[in-house]
Amino acid sequence: MSSIGRIRNFLPQGVWAVLLSVVGLSTLYAAPFELPPLNAPPSTEHHVGKVVWADLVTPDLAAAERFYGGLLGWTFQSIHAGNSDYAVALADGRPVGGLFQKAIAAGEHRQSAWLTFIAVRDVDAAKRTALSQGAKVVSDSKNYPARGRQAVLTDPEGAVFAILASSSGDAPDFLADSGEWLWSSLLSKDPGAEAAFYQTLFGYDVFDLASDDGSDHVILSSDDFARASVNAFPAGSAHRHAHWLNFIRVDSTADSVAKAVALGGRVLVEPHVDRHGGQVAVVADPAGAPFGLMEWTESDSKTEPK
Amino acid sequence: MNILRNRCVALGFGAVGLALALTQLSACAVEGVGVDGSVGVGYDAGYYEPYGYEYGGWGPGYRVGPGRGGDRRGGGHPGSYRPAPASRPTPSIPSRPRAGGSPRGGGGPHH
Repeated sequence: MSSIGRIRNFLPQGVWAVLLSVVGLSTLYAAPFELPPLNAPPSTEHHVGKVVWADLVTPDLAAAERFYGGLLGWTFQSIHAGNSDYAVALADGRPVGGLFQKAIAAGEHRQSAWLTFIAVRDVDAAKRTALSQGAKVVSDSKNYPARGRQAVLTDPEGAVFAILASSSGDAPDFLADSGEWLWSSLLSKDPGAEAAFYQTLFGYDVFDLASDDGSDHVILSSDDFARASVNAFPAGSAHRHAHWLNFIRVDSTADSVAKAVALGGRVLVEPHVDRHGGQVAVVADPAGAPFGLMEWTESDSKTEPK
Repeated sequence: MNILRNRCVALGFGAVGLALALTQLSACAVEGVGVDGSVGVGYDAGYYEPYGYEYGGWGPGYRVGPGRGGDRRGGGHPGSYRPAPASRPTPSIPSRPRAGGSPRGGGGPHH
């Protein structure tokens, strides 16, 4: 057989191999990153200013799943697309947050964190407003088809947060169940200025609170519900870096703290009574990401603790 | 035999063309959704905080949580935000429990 003939014999098989490779690669790289919707079935309900989601960035997804699964009973739904490894955390079958694996660049002294997502109707309009008030863009506006459109920003003090226009609407205002996010707090140097920034961005009603320790604390509210607090760093704290801190509802803060430690976490703030009469604590997961634990029982005292 | 080979070659090239077209279509399918055309193909919202959170100083009077509603108001921050009218009671978080048979969905934090 001539060499041309051999090529002709070979070509169809080679072409099919190329075809399969091209189809495989195109599927792998062009497939959209399918984050789940916030609401299923979707609704037209929106709550601008409500904290509607949280994402953890961690260098070790498997370790994070072991920790949060063991502590809170969360289960996980893996999403792999391109180079992205992401897991949706489910509390009693309901999506409550995302865990995103990302390597920490060599030589970078950074730490894992939970990213707070706040609801808006129009991400690009909100981004423009934020930028005009001193915010900066960390990750520009992007669409995730089922999730919606989101952007990651820093506020004027450098606290990182995300804005999200959910394409399936925002969740109704229910009391969080155990294992779900209950509360969010911003820790900052200047709560007044920070509250003004977020008020401009989300249209919050702002309630200043009386304080026994001399620190400034304000409540951000929308739809006549408290959505978050803005707090001055406590006196004497060093390494003040403005950031959002989210709290998960637990049945017993003390028991959850002990469990977190047993799972490789560490205690940042010991359990103590907070404004609502229940115990709160702050812990860090094994990768160092801080988050809060908060009891909220109907039998808690409705008077402020002494 | 030659006819068969030619058909196979033609089929092969056709398939490559189809694959390339599918690749383009696939790429198009995830473009043009947003104002600037950006769409989530991978996930890039992850960020790492500067190292060194410090939580010292959380004494007994340092409270960051929500109240039960009607908490005492403070002095405010003149010149910063617009405070809610003093006549309005400080709100609390939602108290309505999720109905047992309510639809399951996302929503994450439920403040």
